Amino acid sequence: MSTETSTFKHVSSSPHLRNPLTTGGVMMNVVIGLVPVTVFGIWHFGLHAALVIIASIASAMLTEYLFDLIAKRPNTLWDGSAVVTGLLLALCLPSQCPLYVPILGSAFGILVAKCFFGGLGQNFMNPALAGRAFLLISFGKVMTDYSYDAVSSVTPLASLNSGEAVDLGKMFIGLATGHIGISILCIVIGGIWLLVTDTISWEIPVASTISFVIFLIAMSGRGFDPYYLAAQLCGGGFALGAFFMATDPVTKPMTWSGQLIFGCLYGFLSAVFRTQGSMADTTTFAIIIANLATPLIDRMPVPQPFGVGKKGSSVIPGVEALNAPKRKSMIPKSAIILMAITLVAGGGLACVNMMTADTIAENERQAALAAYETVLPDMEITSDDALTAQVEQFAETGYGDGAFGRVYINEAVVGKDSSGNAAGYAISVSSMEGYDGEIAMSVGILPDGTVTGISFTTITETAGMGMLANEDSWKAQFKDKNVEAFKLNKAGGSTTDEEIDSVSGASITSGAVVNAVNAALDFFHNYVVAG
Amino acid sequence: MGIYNFRGGVHPKGYKELSADKPLKEFLPSGELVFPVSQHVGKPAIPVVKRNDLVKVGQLIARADGFISSNIHSSVSGKVKAVEPRLNNAGVMVESIVIINDNEYTLAEGVGEKTDYTKLSAKEIIDKIKDAGVVGLGGAGFPTFVKMMPQKPEEIRWIVANGAECEPGITCDDRLMQEHPEEIVEGMKIVLQLFPTAKAVIAIETNKPAAIASMKKAIAGDNRFSVLELKVKYPQGGERNLVHAVTGQYMESASLPASLGCIVDNVATLAAIYKAVALNTPLYERGLTVTGDGAAQPANYIVKFGTLASEIIPDEGGLKPGTKKVLLGGPMMGMAIPNTDIPLEKRNNALTCYLEDEVEIAQGKLTNCIRCGKCIRVCPLGLYPQMMAEAIEKNNLQRFIDVHGLDCIQCGTCNFACPAKRPLTQLFKQGKPLAMALNRINQSKKEGSK
Repeated sequence: MSTETSTFKHVSSSPHLRNPLTTGGVMMNVVIGLVPVTVFGIWHFGLHAALVIIASIASAMLTEYLFDLIAKRPNTLWDGSAVVTGLLLALCLPSQCPLYVPILGSAFGILVAKCFFGGLGQNFMNPALAGRAFLLISFGKVMTDYSYDAVSSVTPLASLNSGEAVDLGKMFIGLATGHIGISILCIVIGGIWLLVTDTISWEIPVASTISFVIFLIAMSGRGFDPYYLAAQLCGGGFALGAFFMATDPVTKPMTWSGQLIFGCLYGFLSAVFRTQGSMADTTTFAIIIANLATPLIDRMPVPQPFGVGKKGSSVIPGVEALNAPKRKSMIPKSAIILMAITLVAGGGLACVNMMTADTIAENERQAALAAYETVLPDMEITSDDALTAQVEQFAETGYGDGAFGRVYINEAVVGKDSSGNAAGYAISVSSMEGYDGEIAMSVGILPDGTVTGISFTTITETAGMGMLANEDSWKAQFKDKNVEAFKLNKAGGSTTDEEIDSVSGASITSGAVVNAVNAALDFFHNYVVAG
Repeated sequence: MGIYNFRGGVHPKGYKELSADKPLKEFLPSGELVFPVSQHVGKPAIPVVKRNDLVKVGQLIARADGFISSNIHSSVSGKVKAVEPRLNNAGVMVESIVIINDNEYTLAEGVGEKTDYTKLSAKEIIDKIKDAGVVGLGGAGFPTFVKMMPQKPEEIRWIVANGAECEPGITCDDRLMQEHPEEIVEGMKIVLQLFPTAKAVIAIETNKPAAIASMKKAIAGDNRFSVLELKVKYPQGGERNLVHAVTGQYMESASLPASLGCIVDNVATLAAIYKAVALNTPLYERGLTVTGDGAAQPANYIVKFGTLASEIIPDEGGLKPGTKKVLLGGPMMGMAIPNTDIPLEKRNNALTCYLEDEVEIAQGKLTNCIRCGKCIRVCPLGLYPQMMAEAIEKNNLQRFIDVHGLDCIQCGTCNFACPAKRPLTQLFKQGKPLAMALNRINQSKKEGSK
């Protein structure tokens, strides 16, 4: 063989051409897409925001570098994913948070959610959101303190929820209170960049937005209210999540149909958390839960190879047709079984609930009546249409515009003496701000404003602490007092009628009860006597 | 007919302009020629000449062994130097006939004589195609006469000439359609004679307007013919996509085009049919494109089989200094060869030479799979390459079969698109034979238990 003319050439498997796009390029595109919102955030919130961003990125990169070093793994910093994680985390932090917050958050996200699971591509949830969830749980107060310029202010969404008007234009541009990545305008610009460069595809942003809007209409109780829907879309982290976090390639499903399902799930969870939940943060947990569903979703859509369903046969003598594998469903059996169990269990619960609903309502009615009779002894309890109408006007919004915390007036009844005259009133009132949620009680009030006593119908506070409020000795502090409003005395040793000694070690419970009684008194003076 | 498109696909850079305007030129070899006995799908042929035999152009030198096999003819006149194992383009030692060219090109008896094919019977036509050793020239090398014998000939409704030429860089089919459209049309007429009720469709990507115009001119006046324009996209020339373009029907991996009433042949194959049947000329030469940034003179040649690649692209003058990689075929499905002392045969349609090895560069940027799903979006067959690759990496062949990995045609589209630079196609090439073996074992077990 005449090998003297030829030199050895490179050999490799086909294809011999490669798309110029690399993983680093994908990450770079994401960073470029985040530039507008980052610049806006720094301009809007000032230099400290820049420090937060730098600290977060630096911490993410250092963590990954150190892990690679210690674990003797090849250095993977150049792929750019740590930069994206750090930047994304910083963008959903309050602008004035102390610098240890982004540093710890990034380190946790990179180390626990990513490195421990095998690095890029192996993490089962978005590292930035894992870091944020860690921070929310660990530093709840810092994470929800959105004050800046030394002015504490509430976020537009909080205003919206308490029924105040918000400025949609300012929310869209980002001239509001919130996390650093607040500008919806800039997020949309960045999102369009990602779509144009084919870094993300349209399915997740579109599906999540549509499903978010639909479920908000269904669950918010406001119906189709464009103003409310627009404010929900512009508020919080939904948009940043829809374009930049839910679309994180590693933790989203890979298939077209899977991404639609995933997007719908994210929109649905966001709507549920926003309308039904009490957490300040909805995006983080909505995306994390959707991330956890990704492996299942990825197996669900049945792939449709070209031509499946058409019967094929060998038509040439002597040629055996390639035996195509049986086209079996990709949904794992365990998923079907689990779903069946869930459906059966859920159905069973629903049936029990339906069968016992009347009994439960009857029991609750009896408990309420008993409470009324406790506070208005020897009187005949009757309802009054005028009073009921007064109560109903506060049914949606709660009573007192926050002056008593989140308090609802449930019912107001009249107690009649033997001759049929109104001898007292009982007001059922709930405070939502107990240590463990709702505390409901009946407050008995004589026509002259003297409190006859209180009786709890719902109280599930901490045993040995908050539950001590249910002791007669503590409740007796309200008995037979005629005051404008009660006042909580945390120190104890009260001397005046207004003052109520706090239950030792349970000032939140005590405060909620005092607020509820004050709300009842306020209602009595303004709507029962006056009305 | 509108311009046909399919779902998926990619747009690798075409650089067909390097050789698109170079006319087909006959390349005359000077040194020895090597004819491996396996240049087709099926059983290797059996040599019928021995050392020191004198052979002429078009003379049979190895005969088909069995049904799926093919005759091999000499492309030059000269003397047989040896019948011995030689390295073929797949890097395997294959029994080969080595002939020393006497540079006279004396034709064997009967070669080039015209025959009026309209007077031939179907059997005579098929026998002529078979004897001439015509195989699919698109790259697969499947014996063509087998395709002409479907079980239900009356159901064949379409004869499709595949002129898509979607591989980047290759232009020999384009030139053939421009320079000898009548050979293709005559070839199709011969096939139409076998299937009188069928219609003839010539499918061409829209980036070859001259070829489209040329073919339209050649078919003018015959209403059995039409030209189907395809969108420029890789892999537009894939058989299953092409059958869908023509018939609107989806072809499963288990079936052949004939089950959907189609006979699909490369345009060069059809020209070879014409030469075999009407001119009594066996298949001993074909069009071949020399291209790539490493080729000193990009060109389109008519190359005689057996010619060594090193004659066409010698290190001095053929390849630019520093050429790193030489491919037999195009960049998407072609095969890299370790050196150029390799004979060209029926299946080789191009020599692509590169100064840079993109695979080498890509390997430097390899990362974990980031699950972006691009491979799924571009797969022309709707497969899930990421899951297939994961199954092979975990050595889970059953999973590979479950995600329909056996449907893969190894077109390289997913591999091209992958930003993480995963070697997807290579994994499938490794895994598919193993999975097929597993499939066979499973089936024999099933049959055994019945």
